[in-house]
Amino acid sequence: MGRLRQKGKTGAAKAYVTRTSAIKKLQCSLADFRRLCILKGIFPREPRSRKRANKGSSAPTSFYYAKDIAYLAHEPVLKKLREHKAFAKKLSRALGRGEWSDAKNLEDNKPVYRLDHIIKERYPTFIDAVRDIDDALSMVFLFASLPSNARLPPSLIENCSRLAAEWQLYVMHNKSLRKTFLSIKGIYYQAEIMDQTVTWLVPYQFTQSIPADVDVRVMLTFLELYQTLLGFVYFKLYTDSGLIYPPPLDVKKDEGGAGVGAFSLQSMSHPVAPAAPKTKAVEIDGRKVSGKDVRQAIKSLTGESEINGGDVDMQNAESNPMEVDEEFVPQQSTSDPQSTASLTTLKALAALPQSLTTSLFSPYSFYLSRETSRPIFEFIVRSFGGRVGWPSSSGSGSPYDESDDSITHVIIDRPLVERTDETLEERERRSRRKYIQPQWVVDCINAGKILLEEPYAQGKNLPPHLSPFGEYEGAYDPAVGLAGQAAEESESEEEDVVIPDAEEEDVGQLAEKSALQAAATSNDATSLRAAELAAEVAGVDYGTFEKEVRKSRKKSKAAPADGAEDGEQDMNKMMMSNKQKKLYERMKYSEKKKASERATLEGKKQQLQKQKRREAKTG
Amino acid sequence: MVPDLKPKSKKRKQADDDEEPEPATFRAPVETLEMLSDDEGGEDAASDDGQVDEFPEIDAASDSEDEDVVEGSEPDEEDNEGTDEEDFEEEDSDDSMDRDIFPKPKTIISDITGHPKRVYPEIEPDYDSDSSTEDAPNRVGDVPMHWYDDLPHVGYDMDGKKVLRPARGDELDKFLQTVEDPSAWTSAFDKTAQMDKPLSAEELDIIRRLYGNEVPDAGYDPYEPMTEWFTGKGKEEVMPLSAAPEPKRRWVPSKWEKQKVMKIVRAIRQGRIIPSKLKTTSKKEFYAIWSEPSTSHAPPLPAPKPRLPTNAESYNPPEEYLPTEAERAEWEALDPEDRERDYLPKKHSALRLVPAYDRFIKERFNRQLDLYLAPRIQRVKLNIDPSTLIPKLPSPQSLKPFPNYKSLKFTHSSRARCISVSPDGAWVISGDEGGVVSLWEVNVGREVKRWKFEGKIGALEWCPRTDLSYFVVGIEEALHFVVPPNLSPSVLLLTQNLLAPATLPPAPETPSPVKWVTPPTSSWSSDTAILTVHLPQSSGLPKQITWHRRGDYMATVSGGGTQGGVWMHQITRRHSQAPFKKIRGAVQLVLFHPLKPHFFVATQQYVRIYNLSEQKLLKTLTPGIKWISSMDVHPSGDHLIVGGYDRKLCWFDLELSDKPYKILRYHTRAIRSLAFHPTYPLFASSSDDGAIQVFHSRVYNDLMTDPLIVPLKILRGHTVKEGLGVLQVKWCARQPWLVSGGADGTVGLWCS
Repeated sequence: MGRLRQKGKTGAAKAYVTRTSAIKKLQCSLADFRRLCILKGIFPREPRSRKRANKGSSAPTSFYYAKDIAYLAHEPVLKKLREHKAFAKKLSRALGRGEWSDAKNLEDNKPVYRLDHIIKERYPTFIDAVRDIDDALSMVFLFASLPSNARLPPSLIENCSRLAAEWQLYVMHNKSLRKTFLSIKGIYYQAEIMDQTVTWLVPYQFTQSIPADVDVRVMLTFLELYQTLLGFVYFKLYTDSGLIYPPPLDVKKDEGGAGVGAFSLQSMSHPVAPAAPKTKAVEIDGRKVSGKDVRQAIKSLTGESEINGGDVDMQNAESNPMEVDEEFVPQQSTSDPQSTASLTTLKALAALPQSLTTSLFSPYSFYLSRETSRPIFEFIVRSFGGRVGWPSSSGSGSPYDESDDSITHVIIDRPLVERTDETLEERERRSRRKYIQPQWVVDCINAGKILLEEPYAQGKNLPPHLSPFGEYEGAYDPAVGLAGQAAEESESEEEDVVIPDAEEEDVGQLAEKSALQAAATSNDATSLRAAELAAEVAGVDYGTFEKEVRKSRKKSKAAPADGAEDGEQDMNKMMMSNKQKKLYERMKYSEKKKASERATLEGKKQQLQKQKRREAKTG
Repeated sequence: MVPDLKPKSKKRKQADDDEEPEPATFRAPVETLEMLSDDEGGEDAASDDGQVDEFPEIDAASDSEDEDVVEGSEPDEEDNEGTDEEDFEEEDSDDSMDRDIFPKPKTIISDITGHPKRVYPEIEPDYDSDSSTEDAPNRVGDVPMHWYDDLPHVGYDMDGKKVLRPARGDELDKFLQTVEDPSAWTSAFDKTAQMDKPLSAEELDIIRRLYGNEVPDAGYDPYEPMTEWFTGKGKEEVMPLSAAPEPKRRWVPSKWEKQKVMKIVRAIRQGRIIPSKLKTTSKKEFYAIWSEPSTSHAPPLPAPKPRLPTNAESYNPPEEYLPTEAERAEWEALDPEDRERDYLPKKHSALRLVPAYDRFIKERFNRQLDLYLAPRIQRVKLNIDPSTLIPKLPSPQSLKPFPNYKSLKFTHSSRARCISVSPDGAWVISGDEGGVVSLWEVNVGREVKRWKFEGKIGALEWCPRTDLSYFVVGIEEALHFVVPPNLSPSVLLLTQNLLAPATLPPAPETPSPVKWVTPPTSSWSSDTAILTVHLPQSSGLPKQITWHRRGDYMATVSGGGTQGGVWMHQITRRHSQAPFKKIRGAVQLVLFHPLKPHFFVATQQYVRIYNLSEQKLLKTLTPGIKWISSMDVHPSGDHLIVGGYDRKLCWFDLELSDKPYKILRYHTRAIRSLAFHPTYPLFASSSDDGAIQVFHSRVYNDLMTDPLIVPLKILRGHTVKEGLGVLQVKWCARQPWLVSGGADGTVGLWCS
């Protein structure tokens, strides 16, 4: 006879613990448990069967892995939290008794926990850490913009703004910014660090107030972790690019509102070789070149050729195998250090487009008008190699003033006002510079090339600003919709014009029309040919005939041509198992939803265009 | 009147202090002494206390509470005065001699009398002088003045005459007075006089001082220099207080202190006590944390990244992304957690016009809640085309022939409950609930003959024998054997010989409750049954009649009766028997196996297979249907389909398992009838949704190949009446044609 199995000793009942029992086991408060979970990155799990995990009860509870909780049990931070609890008791006792010196002593020896080990544990490699700093950056940028109050000490805000500035400095220094998106929520930036895309959101420069339904303690705990994480990540990033971390802060400049400019990047006099270079990267004039960069470069090359015009499909077909090749070339080079010959060619290939995209603005000097946000555009322009100046009202530290002759672009966000009291010099200067709205800068970056300034000129109605991150596959694309729709529209317009003419023509054409319809529906070359001949006999020129064909094709397409096939498909659905049927329904549902979304957008677009055209006609 | 004693005594003391100078002042005019002392109480109260009490009344809007306090205190005061008078008398007599605090009288020689007389100094009417000289016409005392509210007078004067209430104007007069009279704002309401009296300069000064938070008495100096009694030059104490010698501990160093200090010193030397650390800076030091190799521990899964923004989130989106009014209203009506998007697209013409996003912090916070509170599941994302999920089946076009259109229609007046097709496939009999049985031709639909029975027709079945021709009609508690008209004489003779033989077979030993009755030869006609089997009493309507393939045995299932209502009839021996003594569950259907001596019995939820020759249960099939409605066996005998009222159709491979090989659910209503085609690989199902579904069902002899089931065609044409659709379907034996009877009374023939 085998061993007797007791209920609840194995399986889900053992692997999961509820939150209450976890707290009981750790002997800490719920707040401490929450803090630990946030810091250690422990989150609840969903057992396959809630009943089995909770001793037959199906009450709504959150479950944690029993092992996670067991690890938490000897967490140094937990020990510190317990010590802190004891400390708090002692302190309150000392204060209550009026033992001030004791209280001061206690306060001096207050237990403080460090999060280094947690950072190392959660992010064993640097890449892991870089991959996960999105949220950290967003939080730090948010808190850098918050006003300090009793809950948010000024030192915290200061540290956050410092971290934010250091990140911007690094991104600008390494030119790793890739995309920017001006959204209604804030500004999304996307940078590429160590082959990882890092996206962060920065609020617009307004004072935010923390709403009442937000638990600040949770946010502060996260912020605690994020500050430490970012500190270590910056240290590594800075030292790897030969800079001293932390960059020294010029207090005087900072007080003048210089922002990022208050920090000065100092390169190490004797760069320390990294102890263990984890990512073998190719270097081009001090910058790392990754496979992704190369791919992007190639893509931009092909993109250019697309613009030049030429069969796009062919180009793409060629570029695909190339991509595959590129994938493995750097690997080969790392494994075999002697094959540097191939590397130089790669370098030569990569150098050209790289410099094109990341130093997009290097030939230009910008001047920010005072109503534009300096931190935003200083960061963007400098990340792409441009020079930027601003009036002193936007802060100190501008490298040049408005009268500088090197300024090529003025970023201005004001309606156009006719100015009469302009001096000759001013007018001349104005004619030399280009006055563009801020969106131009962002759209240039996202397009990867310098766009025409004309549509973005001061006072013009801006073209729509699209997300550079793209949407899901098959989603409505406003840019494509424009071109395709336009052609079709013009066609239908023509039809509208043509139809009355056709009606005027004699009845003999009716027969021809019916033949044509038959030809179109059958999609048969011979019958089409016959119809064409008939049309010729009837005296219809080829152009109108073509149009007719297209029209009747469209009509026939609209009619349910494949109704029979659909019926068969429907019947075949009977033979699906229940599971498959449900899956199918789900997929169909989402597909239909996407399609309807797309259809509504397209419909709206059409309506708008029609309205516009009507307005153009009347006005 | 005597609320408590303590305040009284205290007051009294005060009053004593107050009135101490008085005796001195009034002692001189001895003759008026008595009167004075008499008056004094009242006067005193009127002046002194009146003054104090009337302060609150300066404010016109003083509330009643103040009044109460005043009223409450007044009796007290009066009492006071009463007692004071007595005290005063006594003090007068004995204290006057030795007190020198009183102003000293001067002794001068009177001009008139020539005798020396004592002249006291003039009394200054200051703070501690008495105010007895002031005249107060109303001598009513300190009574609450509201006692006089309803009276024309407000009190009495010294002579006991009424003091009439002064004329008081209305509010307008009062207002005008305040405007006209320049001293109106410095006057206050005098309660005893019941009129406004201007305040004196002293009173105004007191008020000013009170407002200025100063001492009310003008003469009081709060910064008087201190009188030094015991300190200061020349007043030091020179003599010691005690004569005890000075103790030794005053000048010998303490041993215990030394021990304690040494203890600390030793601890410091040994390093047990560490001097407090330098306060570490709060700034954390960062170092190359990733320079040493990481542990082998697998890193936790990274949190999913938030979704990247789409075009709709742009500050300047294309116009088609902007919500219409309806969309906006819909979005706003939804709960925030139900919304697909947490923002409404908005277009701003310039970047400078973009406002702060008010939900920024909330969204950050929600993201963090997700990070630490939401369970994470790793899902495999299916990236397949949903159409690949639909099984690839041969096209119905390649599986022809099968019925796909309705070729003719035969109409009954009531529900065509049951139909049967003759074994040669040329004739159809259909029975309805009105008791009418019609015989009609398959090819043209012409009705050849009609029989009328009493009550509903429960079941109809044509005898499968081809050498003779008759059919059985089941009505309430009886089975009628009917011979169709227009038979060839040989067949007719053979049929008659079988059903009504000249010599009846011997009756069975055990008497059966089922009676076989043949009407006399003379009464035979084509309108009546040639043979009638009377089922036992209260057995109800036969639901089903099914034939053994040889045509000798026939099984019927009735709704009621014992033994499950199943009876097995042998035609040649004219004998009926109940195969089951007792059976669990209500029998729905029975079927003969086409090849083997097996018998299928469908109860409500199970199908049992019995071996008739060995008389034992072979198998119980569990289709998982709540209520079985129909069942048919494949002509090969290896497959069984079972349909249920819960819309399910189960295909059983009898050699495989007692669980269904395939469960199909495609009808929207209960399945009513199922039928396999005897020769073609077809089967059909009919349902209450009014549709007939035709399937191709190819069964392979190879045991390894699964049967192929292909849905071919949905035949629609019957209308649903009272929730009932197509009640029965039957196949024509030699053609891929289908006959269906519906609740709408029509019997349709579906041809290929």
